[in-house]
Formats: sequence, C-alpha cells, structure tokens
Amino acid sequence: MNESITVRGLTKTYEGAPAPVLDDIDLTIPRGHFVSLIGPSGCGKSTLLRVIAGLEGFDSGRAALFGSTPRQMCAAKAVGLVPQTPALLPWLNVRRNVSLPSRVNRRAGRGSENPESLLELVGLADAARKYPHELSGGMQQRVAIARAFGMRPDLLLMDEPFSALDEFTREALQWHLLSLWERMSTTVVFVTHSVREAITLSDEIVVMSARPGRVYEVLPVDLPRPRDGDEVAGPRARALEERVRASLQDAWQAGSAPDDLIPQ
Amino acid sequence: MATTSTSEGANRAPSPTGPVPGKRRRLRDSPLRPGMWLPTVVAVALVAAGWTYIAETQPYVLPKLPDVGATLADDPMAFLGNAWSTLSIALMGVAWGAGLAFGLSLLMSEIPVLRRAIMPLAVVLNVTPVIAVAPALVVAFGFGLAPKVIVTAIITFFPVLINVTTGLRSVPVPVMHVFSTLHASRMEILFRLRVPSSLPYAMAALRVVLPLSIVGAVVAEFVAAGSSQGLGTMIRNSAAMGQLSYVYAAVICLAAMGVLMLAFTTLLERRLLFWHESQR
Repeated sequence: MNESITVRGLTKTYEGAPAPVLDDIDLTIPRGHFVSLIGPSGCGKSTLLRVIAGLEGFDSGRAALFGSTPRQMCAAKAVGLVPQTPALLPWLNVRRNVSLPSRVNRRAGRGSENPESLLELVGLADAARKYPHELSGGMQQRVAIARAFGMRPDLLLMDEPFSALDEFTREALQWHLLSLWERMSTTVVFVTHSVREAITLSDEIVVMSARPGRVYEVLPVDLPRPRDGDEVAGPRARALEERVRASLQDAWQAGSAPDDLIPQ
Repeated sequence: MATTSTSEGANRAPSPTGPVPGKRRRLRDSPLRPGMWLPTVVAVALVAAGWTYIAETQPYVLPKLPDVGATLADDPMAFLGNAWSTLSIALMGVAWGAGLAFGLSLLMSEIPVLRRAIMPLAVVLNVTPVIAVAPALVVAFGFGLAPKVIVTAIITFFPVLINVTTGLRSVPVPVMHVFSTLHASRMEILFRLRVPSSLPYAMAALRVVLPLSIVGAVVAEFVAAGSSQGLGTMIRNSAAMGQLSYVYAAVICLAAMGVLMLAFTTLLERRLLFWHESQR
C-alpha cells in the first residue's frame, strides 16, 4: 500500500459541467513504474495528473502517494512536474533553472542532484550558461526534464511534455527521458495522446474514456528493458499498438460522445 | 514575398571581391548609411526653414534660431543650474511616486483586501488633474521642494501602480504549477517569480513616467510662484518679459533632458531585460 500510488473512487466535477471530469477512478501504480495515461481529449487525463500533483482538489474518493497525501509529498519536494510548456524562468540561465528546485522550499531539506551532471545526462552540458531564449524548444524541454529530476523525486508527473515538438525531436527526447529514468528509477505518470510514445516509454498504459472521465482499461507493455529503437519498432510493439488503438476505439464508444459527434 | 527573397538572395550572393553577406547585412542597418540619417536631416532642415521664415516675419511668435543659440551659449551655467534644479525635482518625484507605487503593488498582490481598498482611490487620484491641486499644495507646503516633488510623485504614481500590478500577475500558469509542486512559500513565489515577471511592465511604466516627471516638475514650478530656480520658473519669468529666446532655450534644455532620460531607460532595459521578448 505504501509502496504505490493509489487512487480510489476519485470523483471530480467542474462547476457547471454536465458530467464529472473524473468518475470513480481506481488506479494503482507500483513504485518505480512508468505509467502512461492516454485517451481522447476531455477524458480527464490532465486533470487526474493535476489531482495527483495536489494542484487541484476533488469531490470524493482519495488519492495517496506512497501513503502520503499529494500536498505532503509536495511539501517534501518528492514530486517533480514537467508541464506541457517548458515553464523555465527566462531571466535565469540553464544551470540556475535546473538548480532552482534546490533553492526553493529549503525547509524540505531534500538533497539534490548536481545540476552539471543532470545537464550532461540530457546532453546540454555545453548550454549551462545559456538563457532559455537562446535554446530551441526541444532543448528547453530537456532543461525542464533535468529540472524535474533535480530533487530525485519519488514521483515524476509529465503532462504531454513533448506534444509541442516535431517528431524527430520528440523521439530523441523520449530516449533521453528513458535513459534518465532508468538511472534514477523514479515512478513516472506520463500524460500523452500518442500511442507510440506510450508504448516506447511505459510499463503500463491506462486507457481512459471521456464524458465522464473513467479508466477504461489498463494494458501492460511487455517489452524488455532497456528498450531500443528495434524493440519499439518490432512486431510485438506493433501488435501492442493495434491493441491500444482498438482499446481507445472501444473507450471512445463507451464514453458518451459530445453531442455534435453522435452519429445520426 | 517570393520576389523579395530572391532579390535579397541576389544581393547577398558573395562575389569574390565584395564584402561577405554578414557584413553587408550589418551595413544595411548601420546608422552611417544615408538611407538611415538622410530622412531625419531633411525633416529637421525643413522644420528649421519654416521656423526661420516665421521668426523673420513675425518676431513675436518665434525667436530667431541663432538668437536662441546665442542665449544658450551666453550663460550655459545658468541653464545647467536651472536644468539641474528641475531635474532633481523630477527624479525625486519619480523616486517617491514609483517607489511607493511599487511597494503598494507588492502589498496589494499579497493582500486582496488592500487591493479593493486602494485601487478605487488610485483611479480617482489618476483622473484628478493634479495641476488643479498644485496651488493648494503650495499653500500647504510652501515654496520649497515639497509641493513640486509631491506634484511629480502623484503624476508618476498611477502608471507604475497599474503596470506593476499587472506584471505581478503575469506569471504563466505552468510555471506556477511547477512552484506549487515544490511547495514554494508565498514569499518565494513573490520574489522569485512575481517580481522578476513584473520587471518588463515596470520598465514600460518608467518609459512613460520619466518624461512625465519633467512635465510635472515644470508645471509645479509654474504654479509655485516665488520659487527662484528651475527651467519652469525661468520660462514663466522670461515669457512675462517677452524674452522668447530665453523661453525656447529653456524648452530645448527640457527636451534634451527628456532625450537623456529615454536613453537611460533604454540602457537600463538592455541590462535588466536582456531575457525578455522586447529586447530581441
């Protein structure tokens, strides 16, 4: 129980919304696992991530992170967040951006990684003195990832971190992320709308359905680790991709579609 | 679009003897290129010619330019002294006005009750013509520095208050989320996030407020009869005696002060806001 993230019966309705954005969510994520949340827009995957991060409240049910509440985990600086945009501070150079978590909330007394070695791991050792506006979007997102790993978090939350990048950069960053994760062995919850991305990265894929937002199915990704390009493009991965796509289709039909999409 | 790019490509095609493309590019933006300075020079020459024509035909409308020059050259120290006197009022006013506004913005961003209390007052203060209050300030505070600095401070207060208040709230939501998951304290969010984010807004306000402060100082000198120094005083006294060349010499000094202030602001912006979109 204490060795996993447990969400039980979690329900949340936004004010004025016809259906709950999260409806009776049950989810267990063992420590050290890499889990992707995938589903159509409006399925509440980003909301669920924000609830786990303690950024949003909920109506009923509960969410426990290794036996603590989300706020307690944040107070201990045990949660790292990589938002959709890099969210770097433009007036700090790369090095100071990466080491920022160690300068905020010192009461937590959590030891941090050396920013130089983190930057080396994401291939940005040479850019330490540069400022965010001097970097490409992909490099900025690498800095954001290095920053999130900086406190050696127990839990890393990523909200479609690569969705704004071109395909080539996106794939390169996926490998960067995997090698960092294999080294740090933290638990990752990763929101994405790319099936391939989910398969490349995850141990489990949580397929969600929309309106109301529910967990439709949890699919294990039984590809060996560490993974490489061949593995991820191989027949097993392709079979799995079919499986996830079919599940997404079913989830789409299970959830009530928005009115304008209901077939006549 | 297509034609532009091809002609530019042709322009920049490196020839064996010609300059490298980068250098030519630099020359194109260089202030030495006639295309850069010629329009300004022509415009200035036209204005000067018009001025001279009016000054020759109607000497009570405009003084002759050489006379203005001679007046300035005659006693530059008098003008410098008066300019300094006006400038110091303007700067003291900015320091008080902008300083108070910045401090209040910080307080208001942390204490919403204070915001609701202060904002309406500030808006009323802003729409009140301060010049109308100036005589009353003279009655209250005498002919010394105080009423002039207060007038200038009131004029500079509002733009800074509004801009900094906006700037303090301009932190993007994802950045806030990162700070929230780190459990940053309110003070950490204020000083590590909100205050730096507000700097571009504060500098934009300064750009407006510094020239305004000179207006404030001059108007205050007009109103505070009996003050013996300052360009405003000089203008009022010279105008009363019909010495137009003194009036315009003083006006030129004021304009020069304004230009210097803007140049200073630009320098400060380059230093403080090198990271901001406005500097690219």
